[in-house]
Amino acid sequence: MSLNVARARRNEALLAYAFLFPSLVFLAVFTYWPILRSIWFSLHDVVLGDPEIFWLGAENYLRLLDDGLFWKVFANTALYTLITIPLAILVALLLAVALDSKLRGIGLYRSAFFYPVMIPSVAAGMVWVFLYAPGYGPINEALTFLGLPRLDWLYSSKWALPAIMLMSIWKYSGYFMLILLAALKLVPSDLYEAARLDGVSAPQRLIHITVPLISPTLYFVIVIGLLHSYQIFDYVYVMTQGGPADATNVLTFYIYQNGFQYQDIGYASTLANTLLVFVLGLIGLVSVTLGRRVHYLGER
Amino acid sequence: MATVILQNVCKSYGNRKTVHDVNLTIEDKEFMVLVGPSGCGKSTTLRMVAGLEDITAGRLTIDGRDVTDAPPQQRDIAMVFQSYALYPHMTAYRNMAFGLLKTTRLSKAEIDGRIREAAEILHITDLLDRRPKELSGGERQRVAIGRALVRKPKVFLFDEPLSNLDAKLRNRMRGELKRLHRELGLTVIYVTHDQIEAMTLGSRVAMMSKGELQQVGVPMDVYMRPANTFVATFIGSPEMALLPCRADAGGVLGHDGFAAGVALGGTELPSDVILGVRPEEVSFSRTAGMARGQVERSELIGAEALVEVALGEDRITVRSAVADAPEPGEQVGLDFDLARVRLFHAGTGQAIDRQG
Ligand SMILES: Nc1ncnc2c1ncn2[C@@H]1O[C@H](COP(=O)(O)OP(=O)(O)OP(=O)(O)O)[C@@H](O)[C@H]1O
Ligand SMILES: [Mg+2]
Repeated sequence: MSLNVARARRNEALLAYAFLFPSLVFLAVFTYWPILRSIWFSLHDVVLGDPEIFWLGAENYLRLLDDGLFWKVFANTALYTLITIPLAILVALLLAVALDSKLRGIGLYRSAFFYPVMIPSVAAGMVWVFLYAPGYGPINEALTFLGLPRLDWLYSSKWALPAIMLMSIWKYSGYFMLILLAALKLVPSDLYEAARLDGVSAPQRLIHITVPLISPTLYFVIVIGLLHSYQIFDYVYVMTQGGPADATNVLTFYIYQNGFQYQDIGYASTLANTLLVFVLGLIGLVSVTLGRRVHYLGER
Repeated sequence: MATVILQNVCKSYGNRKTVHDVNLTIEDKEFMVLVGPSGCGKSTTLRMVAGLEDITAGRLTIDGRDVTDAPPQQRDIAMVFQSYALYPHMTAYRNMAFGLLKTTRLSKAEIDGRIREAAEILHITDLLDRRPKELSGGERQRVAIGRALVRKPKVFLFDEPLSNLDAKLRNRMRGELKRLHRELGLTVIYVTHDQIEAMTLGSRVAMMSKGELQQVGVPMDVYMRPANTFVATFIGSPEMALLPCRADAGGVLGHDGFAAGVALGGTELPSDVILGVRPEEVSFSRTAGMARGQVERSELIGAEALVEVALGEDRITVRSAVADAPEPGEQVGLDFDLARVRLFHAGTGQAIDRQG
């Protein structure tokens, strides 16, 4: 390598660092520093407004293991994720396939299904509080119309979590649909034609051709979905405040309660760190199990 | 018996008619080549036979059954696409097995037997566990053909299957397709824009232009007796020279470059005709010749040269031995093989039948 080439490479690297520097500073101040700080908090007894801070060591983490409410909240979050994300992706996939056609006015339908994504979640939460209202809410009216029993929805410890799941599926699926639709556009149409000539039915084409070929995007959507759902906060805050009887309490809301309602920053940090490690672990698990099975169209 | 009959088949996209009243019968075990320039509606016609496009008007029967409105899977056909359309996430084996596994009651062993047999015929036995990305273009093409073969359909449809291959491989695959057709007794409809492919592969060829069928016949017939000036110039390379002439009642043709008499055999000629001469039907004259022209250019193609000669406003190509090829600028005399040349109506371009 000549001297000039070496110098050019070094200059290029310097330029790259120069461009990266502002975002690295930003990340350090607003992401890595808080994480380090919250690890430090979790090892101490920190109470808002109380200047005295004690070293606790692992005590907060041991407390967490014994905290029955933590396990309930953890189970709620897991259940919410396990139901919401697969269903939202399934709905999104079916919508995307249906909307991936050349029918007239198809753009209108696409916008209609994407519309929920554009509503701020707090506003969407308010709308669904109205929809779920036991006395006058349209959903109960619809149930009555169909001859089904009315439900207390957000006021029932049995139905409150499913109600939030349903609303989340509505909100997520439009978002996922748009991402999947972009992926569907990349699948060559002659593959479907070849399968149709072979007599392969539409559901089989979906399972054996579409899904494998858009698997990188599906994988991406699953990861995004996991990240979102483990951090669900706004709907719970607006619609139920974790109630009734903690039936809809989830990890982020429990962190908020401990930190800002009970002023126990140390324990809230412990919960936050646990959540972070758990989500990282989950994504790691997904990438080793699913990530390997991903097929790339570009390999054609 | 897998006879395919198209009766007055039409296709319109909106108000635009792209295929007009195609009437064509493909006999059992026939290799029918649909040939024509780009955009003439060959693919559209083939896709209507496949059931991938609706038939706007007309009737389609396969093996005596009306399948005009039948979905593709009920037509018992298989198609090989120009892009191969192999499933990229499946091995060659799986590509061939997929349709059979999903849509037939064949046992795994029977399917395996069929795949081994097809792989044997196509020389791809060693490639069966590779994915399409691990195969060359020619190998992919074989797998795609294998996928069609294992279905054992009544009719095979090919849409420009060789156009993504290099010239040498294309030549070899042409030979193999011919062999497959002969050995397995397949009924084939084959689309191409390449007239050489059409001439070498087809039991018969169907020429299309602008959505209309121009002529159907065995290759040599289409070559020797083209139905109109379009077919005449499309088939054959270098192309046939078309020389507009005035004709008198006695069969004497007048052109800026020459005057010549042709045998009429009782046919009356219109006053304006077009004389069609293939390169092998004209030669340099040792004497004065029937026509005189000036050599414009001379192209060496191996053993022979193609010499372009100006005759008045028109150009004519002459095949010549390299040693005898005249230089550009030279004045030359030409002799036409008047027994073989053909005449067309100047107005309509239709061939004039001379019973001669
Ligand atoms: N989906 C469509 N909508 C509107 N017009 C179409 C459509 N498909 C094809 N056409 C038109 O129909 C005509 C015939 O197309 P076709 O694909 O059959 O041509 P082709 O003979 O196969 O040409 P090529 O050799 O380039 O493949 C073309 O003018 C094309 O623009
Ligand atoms: Mg085509």
